[in-house]
Amino acid sequence: MEQERETATRKRKEDKQLRDKRRKMAHRGTNGSKLFMTVLYTVAACSAIPISDLLDRASQHSDKLHSLSTILTQELDSHFPPIGRVIMPRPAMCHTSSLETPNDKEQALQVSESNLLSLARSLLQAWADPLVVLSASANSLPHPAQNSISNKIQELQEHSKNLGDGLNILSGKMEPMAQTISSLPYRGNNIGQDKISKLINFNFLLSCFRRDSHKIDSFLKVLRCRAAKMQPQLC
Amino acid sequence: MAVHSVTVRMTRYVGLAMLSLLLAAVECNSMSPPGKPVLLGCTSPEKETFTCRWEPGSDGGLPTTHRLYYEREKLEGTHECPDYHSAGRNSCYFDKNHTSIWVDYYLTVVAFNALGNATSDTLRIDVVEIVKPNTPENVTLLVEEREESLNLHVRWERPHNTDTQSGWVTPEYQLGVKQENTNRWKEFKAGRQTHFTLYSVNPGVVYMVRVRWRLDHGSWSEWSNTTSVKIPDYFQKERLFWILVSTLSSVPFLAAMSIMVMKRKHVKQCLLPPVPRPKIRGVDVQLLKSGRSEDIVNALITNQSFPPLVAWKDQMEDYLIVCDNDDSIQSQKRKKSLIIPAVFHLDREIQCKESTCVQNDWEKAAERKDEINNLINSNKSLSGERLSNVEPPQLPTQKHRRPSINLVNTDATDQSLSSCDGTAENTFTSFANSGYVDIQRHAGYVQEVDYSRVKEVNTDNILILEKENVPLDSSGYIQGHKEDLPEDYSRVKEVTSDSMVLLQKQSVSLDTSCREKGNHYTHSTNQKPGNHHVTGVCTELIDSGYVDTIPASPLM
Repeated sequence: MEQERETATRKRKEDKQLRDKRRKMAHRGTNGSKLFMTVLYTVAACSAIPISDLLDRASQHSDKLHSLSTILTQELDSHFPPIGRVIMPRPAMCHTSSLETPNDKEQALQVSESNLLSLARSLLQAWADPLVVLSASANSLPHPAQNSISNKIQELQEHSKNLGDGLNILSGKMEPMAQTISSLPYRGNNIGQDKISKLINFNFLLSCFRRDSHKIDSFLKVLRCRAAKMQPQLC
Repeated sequence: MAVHSVTVRMTRYVGLAMLSLLLAAVECNSMSPPGKPVLLGCTSPEKETFTCRWEPGSDGGLPTTHRLYYEREKLEGTHECPDYHSAGRNSCYFDKNHTSIWVDYYLTVVAFNALGNATSDTLRIDVVEIVKPNTPENVTLLVEEREESLNLHVRWERPHNTDTQSGWVTPEYQLGVKQENTNRWKEFKAGRQTHFTLYSVNPGVVYMVRVRWRLDHGSWSEWSNTTSVKIPDYFQKERLFWILVSTLSSVPFLAAMSIMVMKRKHVKQCLLPPVPRPKIRGVDVQLLKSGRSEDIVNALITNQSFPPLVAWKDQMEDYLIVCDNDDSIQSQKRKKSLIIPAVFHLDREIQCKESTCVQNDWEKAAERKDEINNLINSNKSLSGERLSNVEPPQLPTQKHRRPSINLVNTDATDQSLSSCDGTAENTFTSFANSGYVDIQRHAGYVQEVDYSRVKEVNTDNILILEKENVPLDSSGYIQGHKEDLPEDYSRVKEVTSDSMVLLQKQSVSLDTSCREKGNHYTHSTNQKPGNHHVTGVCTELIDSGYVDTIPASPLM
């Protein structure tokens, strides 16, 4: 993250964490946790800022992203033609649905940290282009709250970019597995010509984004809680 | 035969009756297929399970059953609700095994009865969007007293079924606080923590607190039960304490204040010591303060004595030295000088010289003139003063002393004067109508020329002059008076034994020239040449034996 800074006190804190981690490692249960501990160990020995802080910052961004998208969908739904809900395409048609993500809590908690991070980064990467399309079409959206929607789309883009940069840095501190990004290209360029189809497509794209932003948020928060065993107040 | 027909007719009637009865029964109790049920919605308390509820429609008078069917994204086929009972009537509970997130469920409820069925509208849900947690539990309040403020600590617990430890769900708590007598609830955000502190609460007030939360920016839970607490009035005890302290401390304080008031003079001296002021020696400040004018004048001039009137002599003139042939002249009491000072002057010369002879006196006069000039040159404050020389007939041998010029330092001069002429006095306080006396100011300093009338000469060699602004020809004088006064010159006829000057009235023609012209008088022939630029004296003086008098001189 852009807040990377080196202080001596942080180094000392890391050393203490290291000692605690070593002690706790003896009592570790699952394989995933053990793996994560080794990751933390190496990372903490090398970096100045502990990963937990980086993850905390990243999850704050993803939280903001998700809340913005939720508000956007609510705003859009306030003036949505009822017919649109009927003929809305199914979410299975989101361009990111091909990505294999955990479906419930148990599955999610068993995914490795690097996998989680990789999933999050892939999802985020997949939305870089569609957000541009959304932003462009928001300018001419036939909707009473068009200005507010357009503003929020801009904010979404900004937060998304910040989060992407942060996750890139994070992935550098983790295993190489975290570096892999699945490609999920977006091929839908045509948002529609008439008013109804414009609104419907916009709504559909936004709902896809809402889901994916929630996925990213959940993955990062799980990661954060795993990395912050010494600081239970973070979870 | 007839019996058979009767029974047939009977059964027909009975059948009709039965049928009509049946029909009637059917119409009264209308059985129909069930009405359409309505799916109310689904909620998930922890993002791991969820429950759906519906509202059944009319049941059509027949026992009706409801079934929920769902389809799910990424799952083939239509499935039925796994659990109809755990969540109560008309509900369907999906446990963890049947719950998937980030996938859409399409739910429908079908009502069945004997006559038919009815299907509700399809509801599409994603579990992550329907999260609404249970209310927080165990809200406890604790009042904490600190030094400066009174704080209220609120603690609560999350419901047991919700797992926030793994990060699966992210909580966000919210507090509602209300004072008992107000209507509005104040809301505070408490983040992810399960405690909160209200700072600086008001003592003696009942506070009501309630908590709610939400997960992952979902829906807010219901408010918890409201807990109340009354903040005790801690400050009562403190007030008593402070009252006691203030009462006890006021006693010494009042004592100190009274002492200070009683001894305020001392305090004032101590705090504000008097500033030393310059003191004028000889001047009585108290007398000045009392303010009476005569006293002031006396105070100012108490310690100074007026210098004896020194015979002023015209610079161009010599002294009038009248030498008698007999020794009586030697007596000190004789005054031969005709020039009498009119007012006190500061610069005086003590003519305490003895002269036996004119010539001596001439010389001495010259000396004195020089001295006078010197003195006058050194004198700085002689404006308005007049010089006059008093030359007693007997001039003591004592040399003059340089008189001090200041008012202040007149003691010496007094003494010297008195030593010269013991009986000489310097008071010339009242003047009467007497002859003129030429009083001339010194050229350098004295700008005024005043003439005074000699009022009388008393036995003590005092010429009592009339103080009068005798106006003379202004042009002839440095600073002349404006009035015209006829001037007469009188010749001294004789000086009597008791120092009386007898004058001879005589008018001098010079008078007119003095008056009319602005020219200065020519000095007498006996004038000593000098560079003293006395511009003009209208009257002849000592040498010529003339004395200016006014016509109506009583001496005559």
